[in-house]
Amino acid sequence: MPDVPEDPADALAAVVALRRLADQLEDAAVEQAMRAGWSWPQVAEALGITRQAVHKKHAKRLIAAGVTLRRRT
Amino acid sequence: MSAIDHYLDAVIRQGEAEARHDGSAAIEAHHLLLGLAAQQDSAPGAVLAAAGLDRAAIRAALDREFEHSLSTVGVSPAAFALPSPTPDPDRRIGLGASARLALERGFFHAPRKRDLRPAHLLLGILEAELGTVPRALTLAGVNREELAERAKEAASTADW
Repeated sequence: MPDVPEDPADALAAVVALRRLADQLEDAAVEQAMRAGWSWPQVAEALGITRQAVHKKHAKRLIAAGVTLRRRT
Repeated sequence: MSAIDHYLDAVIRQGEAEARHDGSAAIEAHHLLLGLAAQQDSAPGAVLAAAGLDRAAIRAALDREFEHSLSTVGVSPAAFALPSPTPDPDRRIGLGASARLALERGFFHAPRKRDLRPAHLLLGILEAELGTVPRALTLAGVNREELAERAKEAASTADW
C-alpha cells in the first residue's frame, strides 16, 4: 500500500474519487444481489442501512432494468 | 425565455445526462463542462475544440483523473469488475456545489444578465483552481489559465 498522499490536493481528490467509486459500486452490487434473488431486507442488512433507504434509492432503477424483485417481506 | 436561458437550460440538461451516466447524485462542474463541449456551435464548444477538448477528450481526461486520484491511495477501479449498473431514468439530479460555484463565477462576469454569454459559463468553470476539472485538465496537459484567457476573449468578442 502506498503511504497517505503528501499533497493535500491529492488526498482530498482521493476522497472525492473514493466516494464516487463507492456510489458506483453500491449501484452495481445491489443490482447484482437483486438479480441473484436477494430480498430488500437482506440487501439492507448487508449494507447496514434501512430497507426503506435501499428501496427508495434503488427500486425504480431496478424495475426499469427489468429485474424481478422479491416482495418486501 | 431569452436565448441565454435556452442555452443555460440545454447545458444543464446535458450536464444532468452526464451525471446520470456516471451514477452521480449531483450535477458537478465537470458535468457542466461536458455540457458546454456538447454545444458544438457555440463559442465555448469552439474554444474547447481548438484546445483538442471535444466531449470524448474531456471524458477521457476525467476518467484519467479518477483513476489517478484513486491510485494515490492504492485503489484501482479495475479491481472492482462488477457489471455496470443500470442508470435510474427518473432519479432526480440537482446541481452540486461545484456546479453552483462555477455558474456563480460565470454570472459574476456579466454585469447584467443580458450581457451574459455562453463563454462566460466556460470561464466560470475554468476559474476553479481546485477540484476535479483543474486536475483533469492538468493531467491532460492543458494549460487551464490560457484556456480561460481564450474563453474571456470569446466572451468579449464573439456573441455566441
